[in-house]
Amino acid sequence: MSLVFVDGKLVGKTNKAKEIEQSIIEDRRNNKINQNINVRYREDIDSLLVNTEGGRLTRALIVVKDGKPLVTKEDVEFLKQGRVTWESLVAQGKIEYLDADEEEEAYIALDEKSLTKEHTHLEISPLSVIGLQATMLPFINHNNAHRSVIAIKSVQQGVGIYSSNYKIRMDNDIIVAYDQEQPIVKTKIYDEDNIKAHPIGKNIVVAVMSYLGYNMDDAIIINKSAVERGLFRASFFRPYKVTELHYVGGQKDEIGIPDKDVIDYKSEEAYKLLDEDGIVSPGTYVEGGDVIIGKVSPPRFVSSIDKFRLGIQKRIETSVECRQTEYGVVDNVFISSTSEGNKYVSVKIREDLPVEIGDKFGTRSGQKGVVGMLVRQEDMPFTQSGIIPDVIFSPYSIPSRMTMGFLLEMIGGKVGALGGRFVDGTPFIGEKGEDLRKELQSYGFRENGVEKMYNAITGDEIEATIFVGDMLYTRLKHVVTNKVQWRARGPVQLLTRQPTEGKSKRGGLRLGEMEKDCFVAYGAALALKERFDSDKVTIPVCAKCGLVAVYNVKKRTGYCPVDGEDVPIKLVEVSNSFKILLDELKSMGIYPKLLIGSKI
Amino acid sequence: MKLDVPKKYVEKYIEKYGKDADMDKLQAVYERSLITPGEDVGVIAAQSLGEASTQLTLRTKHAAGIAALNTTSGLPRMVEIFDAKKEISTPTMKIYLKKEYEGSKQKATEFASKIMEIKAGDVISSYSINIKRREVTLLFDKEAIKSYGFTLKDIEKLLSNMKLDVDINDNSLIIKDKSADSVKKLIKLRNKIVGLTLSGVKGISRVIINETDDKKYWITTVGSNLKDILKMEEVDQSRTMTNDIIETAEVLGIEIARNLIIEEVSETLENVGLAVDIRHIMLIADAMCFSGEVKGVNRYGITGESSSILARASFEVPLKHLVNASLEHDTDEFKYVANNVISNQVVPVGTGSVKLISLDYGRKTEGKADRKDKKE
Repeated sequence: MSLVFVDGKLVGKTNKAKEIEQSIIEDRRNNKINQNINVRYREDIDSLLVNTEGGRLTRALIVVKDGKPLVTKEDVEFLKQGRVTWESLVAQGKIEYLDADEEEEAYIALDEKSLTKEHTHLEISPLSVIGLQATMLPFINHNNAHRSVIAIKSVQQGVGIYSSNYKIRMDNDIIVAYDQEQPIVKTKIYDEDNIKAHPIGKNIVVAVMSYLGYNMDDAIIINKSAVERGLFRASFFRPYKVTELHYVGGQKDEIGIPDKDVIDYKSEEAYKLLDEDGIVSPGTYVEGGDVIIGKVSPPRFVSSIDKFRLGIQKRIETSVECRQTEYGVVDNVFISSTSEGNKYVSVKIREDLPVEIGDKFGTRSGQKGVVGMLVRQEDMPFTQSGIIPDVIFSPYSIPSRMTMGFLLEMIGGKVGALGGRFVDGTPFIGEKGEDLRKELQSYGFRENGVEKMYNAITGDEIEATIFVGDMLYTRLKHVVTNKVQWRARGPVQLLTRQPTEGKSKRGGLRLGEMEKDCFVAYGAALALKERFDSDKVTIPVCAKCGLVAVYNVKKRTGYCPVDGEDVPIKLVEVSNSFKILLDELKSMGIYPKLLIGSKI
Repeated sequence: MKLDVPKKYVEKYIEKYGKDADMDKLQAVYERSLITPGEDVGVIAAQSLGEASTQLTLRTKHAAGIAALNTTSGLPRMVEIFDAKKEISTPTMKIYLKKEYEGSKQKATEFASKIMEIKAGDVISSYSINIKRREVTLLFDKEAIKSYGFTLKDIEKLLSNMKLDVDINDNSLIIKDKSADSVKKLIKLRNKIVGLTLSGVKGISRVIINETDDKKYWITTVGSNLKDILKMEEVDQSRTMTNDIIETAEVLGIEIARNLIIEEVSETLENVGLAVDIRHIMLIADAMCFSGEVKGVNRYGITGESSSILARASFEVPLKHLVNASLEHDTDEFKYVANNVISNQVVPVGTGSVKLISLDYGRKTEGKADRKDKKE
């Protein structure tokens, strides 16, 4: 007796599990029951599993009978002409959806050639062995699988026009790259997908060579003149949002230029960018620290000393400033109200992001790198026909990663650009490399894609032949302007007096434990002390009891909480964190007595 | 300034290159090899080994089914050595035989079967415990006993020597223990007998015979018992060794243990293709051994014995060290790197290890800030 489970619940027992399984499959194929019911008989636990619930992953497969697929060439032709629909093929039982359970029992052929009599199903396309995102990448069947995973990750980070209404949207931290193109070498799935409306990347001329030493280790050299003409130009948008809140007691925030008598009033100069309504107008250039939206709020604690002072309560200034490290032009101002009826203002700042040294770029083969140098067009090498590459890519990136798809895409892009057509780079079923090479030869180029190039600085012919082609390059969202950070001096933490941490707080860069060890190993003891001087303090120590005392500078005398007035004092320079350590030891009942010796 | 090259180097140099050799060259090499005063050799040794260990993976290679030994290697082995673990995960010995024995395969095999430990458990096929009669019945595998070359009587004798009441009944031994008042005690008794060594050296669970190119035989073992193996007549005591550092220190002394640390660490690093200068390893081995017993590089070992309270507190369990120091009225001399970094003083290393003294002519220093050397 086998057990019967429907959606994981035990419903009964049967002697005819296999027959029931067959009949359910038959009925489904004959469209007598719902298409989404799947069934599987598991011999190892002797039970029949019937799945009907939603949320299962299913996939479509062509049904095979006696080694022949039920979907005929005729069906495919009719489907193309629109005379037959997909749904009708499913209803006829020629195509069916299998879930993970039923798929275990199926024997699926990858393509029609490998069909045998034992097969129960046929893949609609060999492409279905890879995911949707991977099918967008050209020639990935020529790449290492791990590279494809990297490629998918970097395509996800590509910038383009993510949404057609980006101008009126208020998304956080958005980079929009203008003037992006569809790839010349694309895949069949690319054409079917909506991603066509949001292209990411540009078809540019790439030369694989070392040049001036600025494209070592995955760096790329970009043509500066091309950048000046607008290649990969992008904008960074940051919205600043403010709500005019209503508080208990009838008080509320006020958006507008603050009066001079509010607490923390900055200066007249600080509010000069604001319009009469207290908001900057579109088109204004703002920099870090500029007030974007003026706002005044009621004091945070109503029951303070103000009680005793008659008259109007002082209000505090809570304006919104542009972030310290950022700048840009006010792109758009929105004034609206929230669902609670509060006034809501948001201002979007646009920052231009021309390509800079350090910006990250990627291809669809997982070959990503940062810009090492921007070279003017006059200094870029050129081919015999006068083509100047936009990007110079390092040849050392290829052998160890074995991304042959990268090279094929370049040849494909060259063929497409010369022939004025799109090239099909669909994995497994796209155009063949040999055909592309032959076509390239017919345009008067060498079939392997290499060309003679000239050094633009000296005019000499470059001895080696250079592999040049067109391919899609994508600008990735990691932009240097949003990441650079440095400081020579700046804010410190209140407790430890050490520099703050993090870019947003203008923090310092930590000299950590292991870096300290390097100083010690080098023997640079005094340099190390200087590095750690950021929180140095001079503490007066009572020579009698060895505790931190008080030094009266005017009288030049010391006062010790233990030993009283006029005690001998020694001034010691230590880090503030050490002083805190002493304080904490005292708080836990340990007496840290400092015994001060002489200097030598 | 010319430094005197120690005599032993001069002698060796002459021995190698003859009397007319260029002495200036030796002088230059010698001076270059010296450590400059104030150089923090400890940190450099730590960095040199630490950088190399980042490349070691936690993966241990397993050669399943092969008769060869499976010793711990890579990072786990390094951790084992530097922590001075009492019980290492794969103890193994290399036993070399005296000249009379090492040439013949038969003699080597005889010796190997002599040292391999056979426990009573290996020849017992089943057992039963009778609570009412307070006895344990052990059924022996006759074939197994025969193949190892002893009889049931031998085992009975052994057990009788342990002052146990033993009876032979066909293939089984019945052991009575009238003092046993619970099942627990009977089970204890049974476990005691099962773990009994019938023959061989205790701890040697497997023996493998190796052959060198010139037809000499030596033995590697799984398990280690240096003391007992060295007592054996056939063994060449000058070459036989174990990879258990603590055991070596107990049997052969601390100097040998130090050499073993150096050897084991270099071998572990060499096996993964890393080259670390032996002087770094020697320094660490010295630090681990100079107290007379092997101490690990951890808070129970040499780090925990640092005389600086703050250095210890900043390593692990700070509270314990601070409270203990306060109870014992301990002082910190501020002579180490860690405590000087905490209090932002010049570390007594490199340029900080020297001081410039200038005499004050008539200038008043009273009331001026004095720094350096604090004690807790």
